[in-house]
Amino acid sequence: MNHSSVDFEKPIGYYAASVQELIVIDDVLSAMVGVEGRYILIKTVHGKTDDVTFHVDPSMDLALQELAKRIFPLCRSFLLINQFVESRSQFQNGLVNHAFSAALRALLLDYQAMVAQLEHQFRLGRLSLQGLWFYCQPMMGSMQALSIVIQKAASNNFSGSAVLNLLQSQAKAMAGDNAVRLLLEKMTQCASNAYMSILERWVYEGVIDDPYGEFFIAENKSFQKESLTQDYDAKYWGQRYSLKDGIPSFLANIAQPILTTGKYLNVMRECGHNVQVPQSENSKLMSSGSNHHYLECIKAAYNFASRELLNLIKEKYDLMGKLRSIKHYLLLDQGDFLVHFMDIARDELAKKPDEVSVEKLQSLLDLALRTTAAAADPLHEGVTCVVERSSLLKRSSTFKDLELSQRSSGDNDLEEPVSITSLETFSLSYKVQWPLSIVLSRKALTKYQLIFRFLFHCKHVERQLCGAWQVHQGVKALNTRGTALSRSSLLCRSMLKFINSLLHYLTFEVIEPNWHVMHDRLQSANSIDEVIQHHDFFLDKCLRECLLLLPELLKKVQKLESMCLQYAAATQWLISSSIVLHNPDEPTESSTKAKQRKSGQVLKSTTRNVAVTESILKFEKEFNAELQSLGSMLSSSSQAEPYLAHLAQLILGVKSEQNGF
Amino acid sequence: MPREIITLQVGQCGNQIGMEFWKQLCLEHGISKDGILEDFATQGGDRKDVFFYQADDQHYIPRALLIDLEPRVINGIQNSDYRNLYNHENIFVSDHGGGAGNNWASGYHQGKNVEEDIMDMIDREADGSDSLEGFVLCHSIAGGTGSGMGSYLLETLNDRYSKKLVQTYSVFPNQMETSDVVVQPYNSLLTLKRLKLNADCVVVLDNTALNRIAVERLHLSNPTFAQTNSLVSTVMSASTTTLRYPGYMNNDLVGLLASLIPTPRCHFLMTGYTPLTVERQANVIRKTTVLDVMRRLLQAKNIMVSSYARTKDASQAKYISILNIIQGEVDPTQVHESLQRIRERKLVNFIEWGPASIQVALSRKSPYIQTAHRVSGLMLANHTSIRHLFSRCLSQYEKLRKKQAFLDNYRKFPMFADNDLSEFDESRDEVEALVDEYKACESPDYVKWGMEDMNNMLTAEGSAT
Repeated sequence: MNHSSVDFEKPIGYYAASVQELIVIDDVLSAMVGVEGRYILIKTVHGKTDDVTFHVDPSMDLALQELAKRIFPLCRSFLLINQFVESRSQFQNGLVNHAFSAALRALLLDYQAMVAQLEHQFRLGRLSLQGLWFYCQPMMGSMQALSIVIQKAASNNFSGSAVLNLLQSQAKAMAGDNAVRLLLEKMTQCASNAYMSILERWVYEGVIDDPYGEFFIAENKSFQKESLTQDYDAKYWGQRYSLKDGIPSFLANIAQPILTTGKYLNVMRECGHNVQVPQSENSKLMSSGSNHHYLECIKAAYNFASRELLNLIKEKYDLMGKLRSIKHYLLLDQGDFLVHFMDIARDELAKKPDEVSVEKLQSLLDLALRTTAAAADPLHEGVTCVVERSSLLKRSSTFKDLELSQRSSGDNDLEEPVSITSLETFSLSYKVQWPLSIVLSRKALTKYQLIFRFLFHCKHVERQLCGAWQVHQGVKALNTRGTALSRSSLLCRSMLKFINSLLHYLTFEVIEPNWHVMHDRLQSANSIDEVIQHHDFFLDKCLRECLLLLPELLKKVQKLESMCLQYAAATQWLISSSIVLHNPDEPTESSTKAKQRKSGQVLKSTTRNVAVTESILKFEKEFNAELQSLGSMLSSSSQAEPYLAHLAQLILGVKSEQNGF
Repeated sequence: MPREIITLQVGQCGNQIGMEFWKQLCLEHGISKDGILEDFATQGGDRKDVFFYQADDQHYIPRALLIDLEPRVINGIQNSDYRNLYNHENIFVSDHGGGAGNNWASGYHQGKNVEEDIMDMIDREADGSDSLEGFVLCHSIAGGTGSGMGSYLLETLNDRYSKKLVQTYSVFPNQMETSDVVVQPYNSLLTLKRLKLNADCVVVLDNTALNRIAVERLHLSNPTFAQTNSLVSTVMSASTTTLRYPGYMNNDLVGLLASLIPTPRCHFLMTGYTPLTVERQANVIRKTTVLDVMRRLLQAKNIMVSSYARTKDASQAKYISILNIIQGEVDPTQVHESLQRIRERKLVNFIEWGPASIQVALSRKSPYIQTAHRVSGLMLANHTSIRHLFSRCLSQYEKLRKKQAFLDNYRKFPMFADNDLSEFDESRDEVEALVDEYKACESPDYVKWGMEDMNNMLTAEGSAT
């Protein structure tokens, strides 16, 4: 047909109705594959490139017009779908769109084949417009439904999981129309295949193979695993991999396990273990309608990954051994090394924190570890020395702030004691390597350190008091009845009782039982996240019960401790100035006779020294007052924190209970 | 090798219980009779070096001195399977081998004569340790060598090693049967004075009670020395577990003792142990929870000091301090609960002049010894009723002294020469003062005991200024 003949085209109304029908069928068949006919024109809607309308020559027989118009929606659907397929096949639209388009294209091919068949029938003269309409019927609904889907997808520029969600929700919405539903489900399945293979690589290998960013798990490469051992607030474990928006609805319930599965696999890969979830015939992930086999596969993968990782951490990296070792050294469960360390590092620890040599302390510590029971534990090499900047009280309160409000409190009203020595700031640390740093992160270690520092200081006080006790023992051969000395030894006893009770509480009532509980829980834990959870729970409980989160009480305890230290430091002087041993001019006799004489005497000289007596009584008074006030503080707080009642009972003993405390 | 302890076993009894102690320690640490570590003893985590040192050939050698004035017991040890365990340089038997004739004065005097030899041995041992913590003396107070020579050693150690702790395991004679040592009350009294003045801690092992326990608890009709000695070695080894199997607390001797001893002189400790067994005795397996163990430890029948107190006095008796060392597979969550229960039931009567409570130390058990019971416990307690034991010693002394019996044997030695018996009187006074001090501990006003003068003086001083 040449151009001029078009111009001179007669309106269709000039033809007889039977002729018109043939022309219309021809035109409609063209329109069905998106080609304009002579009397049916295809116009894009004004301002919208993705919608079309069909115009019919108005002179057409009305009956034919009506019939033709009924077929137009199908033509329109075809056009839209075709357009969608064209545009979505471009690479930037992502795998899901590609897969969807491919499925659509296959469908369109079927459709075009059908049109070709109809055309053949038409050529054979066996097709009426009525017949055409009849044959189009089955396609109508499906094409219509698809065109709705793609319009939505196109207008929102959906990709990835959004497409899947759309398809799925449409399939659900069309549940009444079986054919349409099946079609949409098929489309969903085809489209999700691409998605599933991304998912498969993630849950089976721990690899994100997601070039178009469609997957619902994001990897943030800026969180390095090394940060776990350095950063207090390391977010590696929590945020290295995270869930994004737009989780496909059929995976929404299982998104978290999917995330962790891949995460676990990833950890193992980072450890140099190429672990793959064993795959079998039916472990291919498919999502199809009501078939939920994929859920089981994911679950199996999850179970596999968590079991493998847990085994790896427990067996190869010996988590329990490390924890036990940390308990030996940071929680002093095998405290003999500390006795020796404090013996040999006494002078170094008495220095100010900025004068102390950490290297020297470290070598002394190594020596202490090598020569005590720790020597049998090969893991003792992980223990290192740290000298911190701030006192325990300050450290624990900043720590608490960090916990509570996530802010670092620069302006703290707790002033540092002026003469702080390394004894107050000494701490141990423990070398932890990837992947154990997942559990023993910097934060967890910091908590251990807080507990250690508290214990260490208590041990220091106990040690000094033992020294004072030994000084008292030195005068056992003298009759001290009724002198300030006997008063002093009783005060020493009270102080020892206090510090021993405190230590007993911290170790046998807090650390040991809680550790025991944690240990049992860890034995039955199923995943590393559970391990982390139990371990963190243990640490937090210990911190709280060790008073480290209760600055008021901690302050009180430290006050008492510092009184003990002052007293212990003064003991030597108190005692030597209470006793006038020998007259300097009297020759020192080591013969037993002389000693017997000496021991027989009551120390008259003692009573003369009023200053000594007074200062002992002053110590006694202040200490007892302070102890009582700690007791009442504990009892009043024990409503809210029941464990404090234990401490109160231990510190105040039976006596105060009898007095109705 | 930090915080070492040197053991001195003196006299017949001292060497016998010492021997049992070392046997037990060897078993617990997996050390063979020759001092070689057994192949199975690979677990580690224990501290052998507190009581042993390693020779050049890796043999473990006890830090022990075996001292006696007669050769019988020591020869026995030297002919036993354990002859290669000890350092032979550490064995001292007096040249004449005549013993001390159950005479304190003889033992004391002979001790003085051989002071140099023995101190050489002690110095050598002390030099061989990095930071010596103290000495442990095993002896009996009734005979001649353990009591007399032991007393002399106590005084000398105090002089020479004034900064070191001295702990003794002192066996008190069986008061129920007539002893073949008639001068036992004299010996005991004289030794008690040294135990009071020259020791930092005395673990009292009362043969009367040990016999009673053997008969009543272990159903041995005629307990032998070996059997009662095995009870002693059990106590000795259990009381050192926290040093040998380090835990949270009490990892050094001073820490262990300081918490138990309130004033320098009230340092006499009682012990209790459960469950009791003697070697190779099949024992009924009982349920052993922490509470069971603690409760049994408080029962008089398990305590290794007899109670000589009359009922009235007994009700006044009070605990000054208690340390329970619990060994074995303990559920640590039970500890608090058990203490709570004991407190509620008022099973313990504590002193009233200061805070007091039961201290607990959980300790590991040797992995090399199989026992039928899961948990065992040792109680170390400072209890005022110990004064009745001393009172009894005093009254027996008084009886003998009144008759002026057997004093000639003592006058032969320099300390009592020229009929100077003041040493007896002084010792008597010291022991009586000890009894008084323990009695004073039973009163709520112990803190002010004997302080009346001082308060007066203080107020006088105050008003003067």
